[in-house]
Formats: sequence, C-alpha cells, structure tokens
Amino acid sequence: MTGMLCWATVAWLLGIGLYGIVTSRNYVHLVGCLSVVQASTYLLLLGIGYRWQAGPPIFYDHPPGTPAVDPVVQALVLTDIVIGATVTALLLALVLRLHKRTGSLDAGSIRPLSR
Amino acid sequence: MTPRARLLVFIGACACVLPAAVDVVMHMPAFGVHPLPYGDAVNRLGTAERHVTNMVSLVNFDVRGFDTLGEEFMLLCAVTGVTILLRGARGEQPTAEPGYAPGRPDVRRSAAVTAIGRVFAPLIVLFGFYVVLHAMTTPGGGFQGGVIMASGCLLIWMGDGYRSWRQMMRTEILDAAEGFGASLYAAAGLAPMVLGLPFLTNILPFGQPKDLLSGGLMLVLNAGVGFAVAGGFGVLFVEFLEETRAVPLGGGE
Repeated sequence: MTGMLCWATVAWLLGIGLYGIVTSRNYVHLVGCLSVVQASTYLLLLGIGYRWQAGPPIFYDHPPGTPAVDPVVQALVLTDIVIGATVTALLLALVLRLHKRTGSLDAGSIRPLSR
Repeated sequence: MTPRARLLVFIGACACVLPAAVDVVMHMPAFGVHPLPYGDAVNRLGTAERHVTNMVSLVNFDVRGFDTLGEEFMLLCAVTGVTILLRGARGEQPTAEPGYAPGRPDVRRSAAVTAIGRVFAPLIVLFGFYVVLHAMTTPGGGFQGGVIMASGCLLIWMGDGYRSWRQMMRTEILDAAEGFGASLYAAAGLAPMVLGLPFLTNILPFGQPKDLLSGGLMLVLNAGVGFAVAGGFGVLFVEFLEETRAVPLGGGE
C-alpha cells in the first residue's frame, strides 16, 4: 500500500505540474511548475531505489555488506537536482530578458517577434 | 489557443492517459522489496575495489564518471547561457550602485542581521569546503559542497547589501573556477589515455578506506566538480543580482 502511495504521488506531482504549465498565465509561475514536474522524477528514482530496513549506501560507520539502498539512483537524483537548478536559472534568465523586451510575462499577451 | 481551450485539451489528454497511469501504478514492482541488482553490485564491490566508503560518489565519479563529464559541461553551458543572456545585454559594471524600486521604503538592515551574515558566511563556506573534501568517506561531494560554498556567500548580500557583496564576488575568479573545474575533469579523463589506457581509468593509488585521500582519480574529479559548481553557482548569483542594480544613464536597454 505504501508503495502504491509512492507511485501515485509521482503521478500526481507530474499531473499537477503539467496542469500548472497548461493553465499558466505567467512565465515565472511556469518555470516553477516545471520544477514540480521535475520533483516527480526525484521521487520516482528514490522510490525505486528504496529498500525496507536498509541503511544509506555509505559504509563508514557500518561495514560493507550491511543492507543499503541503491546508490545508483541516488547519484542520478544528484545529477537531476544540479541540472534542474541550472536549467531553471537559464529559463529565468530568458524570462527576465523577455520581460525587459515586452514588459509582460503572460504567454497569452505576447505576440511572437513583435516589438 | 485560449487558456480555456488549452485546459479542455489537457483534460481530454488526461482522460486518455489516466487509465494507463493507474494501470502502471498498480503493476509497479513492490515497494522496498524488489531486487536492486546494480545497486547491490556497487555496494558489494565499491569498498573492495576502489577503497571508498561513499557509494554515491563512487557511482558519480567512477561507475558513471563519463556521464558526470557530460553533466559538468551541461552545467557550463547553462551558466554560459545565463551569462550571455544577462551580462551580454547589460554589460558589466562591478561598481554600479544598487537600484531602488520606486515607492518601496529603503529600510536599513539591523546590525544583528549584518553581524549574523558576517559570522555565518565564512563558516558556511568552510562547511561547504568540508563537504567537498569528505566526498569519498561520508555523505558529500563536489556538487553539494560547491552549492553550499556559493550559497554561503549570499549571506553577505543579505547582511551587508549588494555593494559589499559585489566587491567580494570577483567574477574573474568565479569564471576561472568554473572553467578550471570543467577542464580539470576533462584533463583527468584524458590523462590515462596518454598512458594508453581507456578514458577515465583510475590510475592513481586508491589509498586506505575511510581515509580522506582515498579513491585515486576520483579525488581529482571531485575537486574539478567542486570548483566548477562553486564557480558556476557564484556566477549565476552575480548575474541575477546584478539585475537589481540601478541602470546607468545611457546604458542598459
């Protein structure tokens, strides 16, 4: 049951993020919704790598061989977070330029290539 | 397309996808008990083969070290993109005064906030350095530590304001750290090729487990990532906060 809750939360985060993107009237809000969509991938990866009654994959305090969760997906989430942060920064930089150029952040009111 | 039509299309698409999504959720492997062959292999072999105790760092810098090189350059590209978009459009003036939004009161910071910023910023940067150094033994690594170091500097901005912070953040040094880190990673990958070995072969001595200097080539890669992430995020903060400056006469847009 807990497991199903985890996967259902992943689907819900993805869905709610997409809903926000679809209904967004502000580009900053849209970038935020994209981060929510991305959060669903963190949860999915960590959920896949989880194991009951297992410790962290760090064998400093306990010897190698003790049950541990999957380090591969944890490394992937690390990659995911770093790339997510920089891509968000890049998108926000684009939004800033757009606001300077058109004075608006609403996707509906901006016409392509108009000044 | 009006927002309303967009929403209707979205609801239609959801209605199509929802049964499939429910089916997938019902048939996912059991949570927490299904086999993890790759993770178990890494956990079993990591300490024995590479003498490191942090398996996440092992995966990042050894098992899929080549992926991390790609990630490193994605970071470089994203930071370059932000710099071109923002700095390219407004120029670079480290001495410009901070801007003030009209109609918003200019409240002086209290001495307590300034003091806390000045005391904790160096401590947090030091902690970030500690996290970078302990990548191979305890939770940490270049990515996490680099972000902590760059973020710690922001406390100076919060405490002392834009002008002091901008004087402290030297963009030449940050740019150099970012570029140096990425090229250090690439050079560490190419070094074994000079000896006729495959790319990113771990050629340095592995050291003792639980030792700060264990892991061989992974230490170099970790240092490269630490430099690149600290420099990259520092540049990002500078570029975004420079947007808050007063636009000089005749400059800007």
